[in-house]
Order: sequence, then structure tokens, then C-alpha cells
Amino acid sequence: MATVWRSRCAFAPLLVGKSVRILNNTIDLGSKLIPKPLSVTLCAKDYSSYGKSPFVDKITERYDYEIIKNPPEWEYVKRLLPLDIIPKVTPKDNYPSGWIPPKEEAQNLPYFIRRTKHHEIPIYLNLTYRGTRKVTKIKKLDGDIWLLNHEIKKYLNSTQQRYVETRVHELARFIEVKGDFVTVLKEWAYSKGF
Amino acid sequence: MGSRQIAEKSLSILRSLPRISLGNIRDNPGSKITQKRGRGQHGGDKHGAGNKGGGQRQNYMRLGYETGNNPFYLRVPHENYYKGHHHRRQYPPLSLKELQLTIDKNRVDITKPIDIASLVRSGVYNFNPDQKHYGINLTDEGADIFQAKLNIEVQWASEEVIAAIEKNGGVITTAYYDPHSLFLLKNPKKFFETGQAIPRRMIPPSDAIEYYTNPETRGYLADPEQISQARLKLAQKYGYQLNNIQNDSIYNMLCERKDPRQIFFGLEPGWVINLKDECILKPKDEKLLSFYAI
Repeated sequence: MATVWRSRCAFAPLLVGKSVRILNNTIDLGSKLIPKPLSVTLCAKDYSSYGKSPFVDKITERYDYEIIKNPPEWEYVKRLLPLDIIPKVTPKDNYPSGWIPPKEEAQNLPYFIRRTKHHEIPIYLNLTYRGTRKVTKIKKLDGDIWLLNHEIKKYLNSTQQRYVETRVHELARFIEVKGDFVTVLKEWAYSKGF
Repeated sequence: MGSRQIAEKSLSILRSLPRISLGNIRDNPGSKITQKRGRGQHGGDKHGAGNKGGGQRQNYMRLGYETGNNPFYLRVPHENYYKGHHHRRQYPPLSLKELQLTIDKNRVDITKPIDIASLVRSGVYNFNPDQKHYGINLTDEGADIFQAKLNIEVQWASEEVIAAIEKNGGVITTAYYDPHSLFLLKNPKKFFETGQAIPRRMIPPSDAIEYYTNPETRGYLADPEQISQARLKLAQKYGYQLNNIQNDSIYNMLCERKDPRQIFFGLEPGWVINLKDECILKPKDEKLLSFYAI
């Protein structure tokens, strides 16, 4: 029997263009699988293109199964599906990781730093010229950007004991500070409540 | 057979054969000439040695060659420490600090058991099973600040990490997944959309069996009684009070484990998940049930 079946299968891809689409669970015992004598003169069927080959039908299920609608296990499936949106952070008593939520009082300041979609402060270090030039970039700024620049300069002058160069981009709303001050500026932003 | 019959027969053959297209033609034999490297006076011109001078006349030997001596670089016996490193299992790290940050930002739900699928879903962890990555190595950075009480399943953990999690009343298991299962865990939606039945998880290879049956590493194949003894032993070593899980309000969650043959929580091998109609296809056939038996 096995040999007969194998010989049938051997012709299947030749004869039926769409037989590769048969599912694992099914066998197609339709007429198309049975090899017909390939007579050159009496060849009525035209298998020259994919579009002309007939569809697979008469599929019989080989294995028995049941379909369960609204299954209780669907909760486990939901847990595996990707998140549609980044979840909001619920207020907690403490955040052991050191992350600090934005405070209400920061809304009253004449300037504002918005959080990123990942609830982080948008202060980054840009390294150029093989890491020799370090520039700290503060993004997502609102309000009086020049006043913010003035305050940052004053704060860095007092903490770093030296003059610190900055660059204000009014149109793209960012400030660049020459040097690596990411942690210092993040602490300052947290203290302001951003 | 006359020539007329031959012509008719070949025409009928042509009719039954597929139409000539770009996909099934090839060049006439002999129409393409491949260039050969000539060796004659001008055919093989310079042979890469440049024009005149030392390049052509001197013999620049290969690097390290000592004109027939046993070369220096071969004279010293060599131990290849990294031999076969590209075949070894790799576990890309995830620190306890990063895990705590994801919990603080509500990216993972600690009221449910956490496994590699939920951590990849949160976006904090990524790995490539095709690059011999076999899952999470939970590292001890931030072990002092870690405060979450959870039921976590990772692929590799050190003693400090196990102590940090059990100190906070949590439970940790180390479990092995074969690369095929890891592909499913990395992107379960993609797998469900293919309409295939969830496969069985494979057992660990012979060199990993020891780690995953060891109660001290909280292996998933270890004896649960020995694990509880090892928990007590570790608590005494690190000097903390062990949480009594039996009296806990979240006892059921903390006890939830996967079967050694199971890939996803709550979903058994052999099931087909239909995301479009939100239904599950469960096998009833004896043959399938025995094939997917846990």
C-alpha cells in the first residue's frame, strides 16, 4: 500500500498545480491525484499555467477534532498578543528602580520638558568624532526656551565650578550642552518635577 | 514513419508542453564564452605582481614564513579556548535593575507568572534564537534594590539572583526551551496566524540536563521537595526570612508552572489557536492525543 501511495504522491505536484496548498491534516483523494496516462495526442487538459489548473476540492479530514468557541483558555492567548499601546504608569508608593514620575507643580513653570512615550526624560548624550566630542542634548522643550537655557547654565556653573557652553535651537526646540552632563541634568529635571 | 507524421507528432508534443517563457529558456550551446586566465606571453599579463621591480623579481613570502624553518607561530603549543564557541548555547543578559524598571513602568504584569514571552512582549528583552540564543540570563545588577514579589521563569540564573527574588517572597524557575519553541515564544502571534498546532517542547540536551535537574539552580526538572530544601538552605546562607508560600494570598499564582513539555502558559501542545474567530481547535483523535501527550 505504501508503495502505491508514494507513487501517487510522486505525480501529485506534476499534475495538480495547487496540491502544495493541502493542509497537513488532510488528504486529497480527488481524481486529480490519480495519475492518468500521459498520452501525447490525447492530452485534453492544459496545465501550462497556474491559473488554468483546477482548485483542490473534496478534502476529507483525516483527524477528529473539536472547535471550542469562547474558550476559558482565551485569557492565556490574550496575554501573549503584543501590546497595542504603551501602558500608563499607575501611581505607586515607591519606585525601587529610581524612576520618578512627573509632578503637577512642573506645569506652573514658564518652561516645560515633556516625557518620552516610554515615560523617560529626553536627555541624551551625543558622541561624535570617535567619542572625543560629547554633547548633551535636551529635547521636547516647551515654553520659554531661553529662560530654560539661562537656568541650566546657572545650575551647571554652580555645580561644575566652570563655564559651560550651550546652544539653543529655537525652531526644533532643543538645547545642546557641550560636555557630558546627562546624569546632572536628569537629576536637575527630576528636582524641577519634569 | 514519414516525415509528415514526425512533424505532426512534434507539433502535438509542442501543444502539450508548457509555453516558452523567460522561466524555461536558456542560451544556445556555445553562444557564451567564459573568460579564461591566459598563461602565454601576453595572455596572462602580470599575474598580480605589478609592473617590473621587486614585485615581479623578489619572492614576498607569506606572513610568518621562515624559509623552511618551523615557524615561530607554530613552534608554541596552542590551546584553543574558544574552539567551537559559535556552537555553544548563549543566554543574552537581563539585569534585575531593568526588570524592576519594567515592573515600575507597568510594562509587565506581576500578578501573572512571568516568562520569556511576557518579557519580550514588554519590549525590555530581545533575542535571536537563530543566533544560538537560548533565552534569558537574569543577572544580579540591581539585586539590592529589587523589591518585586513575582513568579518568574528564566533560562539561566546565578545564586545571588535566586536569593534576591526569594528574599522578596517570590519564586524563580530555570527552564530550557529548544530553539523551535523559542521562535514561538518570541512572536506567538506570528505562529498562531500560521494555523499550525502548538508543538511539544523538547527536553534539554545532555550537557544541559545537569543544570535543569539541579534544585540549587531551581531547575524545572528538579524534585520539588529538594527545591524547598534548597530554598531554605539559601535563605540561611544569605540570612533572610523565607516567605511561607502556603499561607500566601497569591499562593495559586506562585505555584503556577509549565509542564516540561508545554511552551505557553495554559495552552497545551496539539491545540490550534484561531485568532480571527477567537476559538481553539482541540484534537480528539486517539492518534493525535497520544502524539501530543504531555
